[in-house]
Amino acid sequence: MSEVHLLFHQPIADHSFSADRSLLAVSRDTKTVTSVDIAPNTRRIVTCSQDRNALVWEPSPTGWKPTLVLLRINRAATHVRWSPDETKFAVGSGARVIAVCYFEGENDWWVSKHIKKPLRSTVFSLAWHPNSVLLAAGSADAHARVFSSFIKGVDQRPEPTVWGERIPFNTVCGEYINSSGGWVHSVAFSPSGNALAFAAHDSSVTVVYPSAPEQPPHAVLSVTTQMLPFVTLCWTREDQLVAAGHDCHPVVFEGNMGGWRLAYSVDDPRKSAGSGASQESSALNMFRQMDLKGKSSADDTNLKTIHQNSITILRPYEGRAGNVTKFSSSGVDGRVVVFSVKS
Amino acid sequence: MATINYRLIDVDALDPESAFPAELLTPPCDPIPTSEIQSLATHCRQLLQRGDQEAALVAALENVPYGGDEQGKELHLGTVLEILSSIKAVEMSPLLGRLYASPSGTELLDVLTKYLYKGMARHNNSASSTSTPGVSSHATGVSSVSGAREYGVAPGRGDGGGMSVLLSWHEKVVEIAGTGAIVRVMTDRRTV
Repeated sequence: MSEVHLLFHQPIADHSFSADRSLLAVSRDTKTVTSVDIAPNTRRIVTCSQDRNALVWEPSPTGWKPTLVLLRINRAATHVRWSPDETKFAVGSGARVIAVCYFEGENDWWVSKHIKKPLRSTVFSLAWHPNSVLLAAGSADAHARVFSSFIKGVDQRPEPTVWGERIPFNTVCGEYINSSGGWVHSVAFSPSGNALAFAAHDSSVTVVYPSAPEQPPHAVLSVTTQMLPFVTLCWTREDQLVAAGHDCHPVVFEGNMGGWRLAYSVDDPRKSAGSGASQESSALNMFRQMDLKGKSSADDTNLKTIHQNSITILRPYEGRAGNVTKFSSSGVDGRVVVFSVKS
Repeated sequence: MATINYRLIDVDALDPESAFPAELLTPPCDPIPTSEIQSLATHCRQLLQRGDQEAALVAALENVPYGGDEQGKELHLGTVLEILSSIKAVEMSPLLGRLYASPSGTELLDVLTKYLYKGMARHNNSASSTSTPGVSSHATGVSSVSGAREYGVAPGRGDGGGMSVLLSWHEKVVEIAGTGAIVRVMTDRRTV
């Protein structure tokens, strides 16, 4: 049911499939590339790294041609994502800024513009609104924020949304604190863009439904769980999202403005088929284990989940926005796995 | 040659914009006078005397003095520990199950976990005989704020008695609320 690809015995910081899924880009932690994203239509790849730079890779007859983008940041770049219209990309960093980058045809280079205030700490994750102007950021200062990244001359003036109507660059359209002050690991807009979800280090997932610009939101719904913290989120439908993190298997949340709840686990370790097989050990096996490792139980160094370590990135894999049927995950164990949303 | 180790220079200290006061992360809490915590303690003790341990525990956990000063927090810790040690081991799991099923269940068990860890930390302190200001240590190792109260731990059993109560509560709480409760206590900036 799930496709498992063990690529290397090293952590994968991020992964991205091309639109036709013929191309998979992964970033490894051997050096310092922290994040990667493939633009589905232009097929351009953007990567960012702890060396404080971003590279845009363009396909050319002689291979991939990299272009260096000056981000003007003094700390590592942590996360990069193309805007849905593929004209801009945003880079989060440890320098308390988000660099919004766009191509300037006149000078034939990528220019970056900084979103600074009111970020107080490292930005862990970024997510684009479908209109390619609003940008959500989760950071170590316990806040999830929604900014405007409107750039004159690049963006068309967007239709008014629940987040705001007239929104110049760096407008803060929403700011939400995690009640226990935990790092916000991941942010994600719902398919319509009218709701924002974020996962924080207190093992919670929060969904925010804004009402109108400058007004208090309709609802801020927090689900605390019995699990270890989630570090990545992926919306599958307007009423369903997948979260994964340090518990090494994805879980599905379902709900609406009336309330959210943890619905079920994908690759649930408690009912995985692998566990039965590994527990079934012969007497010979038992004595061998006792001899080799000084214990009678079967090998317990393997987790019962497919991922053998924390999952760090989830992405939609199959289905259109608003009805995603399969999603892919990558993690510290060097695996890329494709799961179907149905358990 | 230069003797300064440039790698050890705190460059953030030179950048006024990088100031990051911890209060920014702490959700605001209203200050609570110690007298209020004292009256809550009296209320809880009355419930205990009536034999309603569950109501006493819920009352103590629902009214967490996040905004209290050190003395007030110590006082409330004493109240919670007193209630915990008055509950029998067989009653722990059913009681926790009922608490967890209530609307604010996760919150209550998270608060309880905070007190369990705080209780353990204090046991540790008194065992290593470092005198915490405002806390007196008995020969039994059981400490209390006023010095007059004990937590229902049989005298003479030594420090292990109180600690084992806390450990068995901890085991039961994690069984029900999962590792999430521990992570939340470590994360939460609202301390008890």
